[in-house]
Amino acid sequence: MKVLIKAALAAGLALSAAPSFAQDAVRIGALYPFSGGLALLGDESFRGLELAIEERNAAGGLNGRKIEMVRGDAVDPNQAVGEARRLASVDKVSVIFGTYSSSLSLAATQVAELAGVPYFELGAISDPITERGFKNVYRTNPTARIFANRMVDAVAEAVAPALGTDAKSLKVAIIHEDSLYGQTVAGYQQARAKEVGLNLVETLPYSAKSVDLTPVILRLKSAGADVVLQTSYQNDTVLFFRQMKEQGFKPKAVMGAGGGYSLRDTMQAVGPENMEGALNVDFTQYRTNPKAAPGIGEFVKKYEAKYGTAPRSGHSLANYMGAKVLLDAMASAKDLTAPAIREAVMAVDVAEGTTATGWGAKFNEAGQNERATPFLMQWQGGELLTVFPADAAVAEMKTGIGAE
Amino acid sequence: MDVLVQLILNGIMLGSMYAIISVGLTLIFGIVRVVNFAHGEFLMVGMYAVYLLSLHLGLHPYVSAVPMVLMLFAVGALVQRFIIQPLLGADEHIQIFATVGLSTALINLALLVFGADLYSVQAPGVRQPLSIGGYTVLYAQVVMLVSALVLVAGLHLFMQRTPLGRAIRATAQNRNAAQLMGVRVDRIYVIAFGLGAACVGLASALISPLFPVTPTIGTYFVLTAFVVVVLGGMRSMYGAFLGAMIIGIVDSLSGYYIAPDLKEVVYFAIFILILIFKPTGLFGFGRGTE
Repeated sequence: MKVLIKAALAAGLALSAAPSFAQDAVRIGALYPFSGGLALLGDESFRGLELAIEERNAAGGLNGRKIEMVRGDAVDPNQAVGEARRLASVDKVSVIFGTYSSSLSLAATQVAELAGVPYFELGAISDPITERGFKNVYRTNPTARIFANRMVDAVAEAVAPALGTDAKSLKVAIIHEDSLYGQTVAGYQQARAKEVGLNLVETLPYSAKSVDLTPVILRLKSAGADVVLQTSYQNDTVLFFRQMKEQGFKPKAVMGAGGGYSLRDTMQAVGPENMEGALNVDFTQYRTNPKAAPGIGEFVKKYEAKYGTAPRSGHSLANYMGAKVLLDAMASAKDLTAPAIREAVMAVDVAEGTTATGWGAKFNEAGQNERATPFLMQWQGGELLTVFPADAAVAEMKTGIGAE
Repeated sequence: MDVLVQLILNGIMLGSMYAIISVGLTLIFGIVRVVNFAHGEFLMVGMYAVYLLSLHLGLHPYVSAVPMVLMLFAVGALVQRFIIQPLLGADEHIQIFATVGLSTALINLALLVFGADLYSVQAPGVRQPLSIGGYTVLYAQVVMLVSALVLVAGLHLFMQRTPLGRAIRATAQNRNAAQLMGVRVDRIYVIAFGLGAACVGLASALISPLFPVTPTIGTYFVLTAFVVVVLGGMRSMYGAFLGAMIIGIVDSLSGYYIAPDLKEVVYFAIFILILIFKPTGLFGFGRGTE
């Protein structure tokens, strides 16, 4: 009888399709806003993680162990704390992936740090997330400071050469909505502009709920601003472009910090002819040269096969890239305890231009990836095309704003 | 100098937009004595309706003004009849909670139905800049200013010359006396609330070409509208109109000469000073001027 059972078991094992998972599954937490106002892009971010994990499981999992996801729904910072606690202590996950929104991440990472569970941030940009001396928080995506630096540097490295002038002769103005997001990015922009010696003529904060930006535009006009850097949400971006046209203000370049600038709805509300030439710095978008971002086309195909629609934003791609890098690190760790994972993450060394976002990966002591840089994009003919740096570009950068 | 004139023009245009919304709020407050915190959400509902009419029937937003005025009148009348009226005997706070609750419910309903995306109405021509002696205004803004003037003049005639208008004024002046004279106060309240909401219906058609609609669009306007109503003396339609012009111009000038993010500070400072020194409002013409 015993022999029979053994034989049956053996046959069963042999029959079960590869990959066969030898041990218990590895449980990981996926903490995103799945409901509430942030749900659309929260879910979009989660899809990138989901695709990375499916890909990993299809290829045999984590050293032969299947990866099992436990979702946590973080609607607001309070709930992010509650869900992070549940994932860490009830579901006993090995690591937590998240979060899309900075305020949610700031709250949830505190819980994970106290519980000694590694926290992998794949999308939130607020710098302090990795500046609080935490030992178990790692971030793959670029921060607000890196965004701001890229924007200011792009004025000198891309905009000035395209205009055929010296960057120092350009009058640069910063405008931003006055919540934490705009304040943070604009603060870093000011610091960087000073560092590289740009001629900063105006810094104008405004409320994102403004119903009239004419005073802002008249100030820019009076100051003779050539280049405007804007950090904004959607409504204020639409208002700015409309009123800029109405007041006949035509700067040489306008550059956004992602946010409202990346959304197709914004372009449609403003009109493709008025959005023409608007520059934008953001996470890697889909119209990027695959030579600089190998795997980007395959990602889109996988995404479309699974969800039946084209990706709704670059968030899924950024999460996919980050998850892949960190799953590789987990696979190379000697076990899944926090110190072993830290050792493995610190050993990660991925060159730039070799992942689907084009970013590399090398983490500093604080847990921040130092090889993640957003690209410069431009709206041309109703499409958001990567234009800088040259090896990631799919189109030549144009000058001016709005159709001639 | 050029900039100053442009800013003042811009402020007047902005003011006429606030005026239409604030006159409606004043009617509701002055007659029904209810602070309608859902006023901005009425605007939002109207703007979505304008968007849908434009999308499915191809109606120009200005043509939609007629159905919008009727629809919002109905919405206002229903809200008064079925939400406010049962609470008229209750504490004032309860009525405030009811309108705040209605506001939250409407915002979230819009989120559920339309999502957080913004929708923009196609309105050919009206966003064209119109150049007057080197200064720029939009056709849509001129239409807004003319509509605001016509609205106030029209309401003035209605209140002074018609029996219903007289009944409304009587109710506003003294509810009990009006009731004793045979005015059906409950019905007057329903009509007055409807009229206040109908103003927002007009506003939604006029504002749609200028601003894309989102679930929270009402909150952009309504706080300013409350300042205008207090500035105008709480119950005076004319006060609300002038108050709106003042806020519009202050908004425009302080945005330029002080700082764009401090313009709220400036007009809320004015608001607080008025509450301290002249609690009846700048244009408190006394009772009976509604």
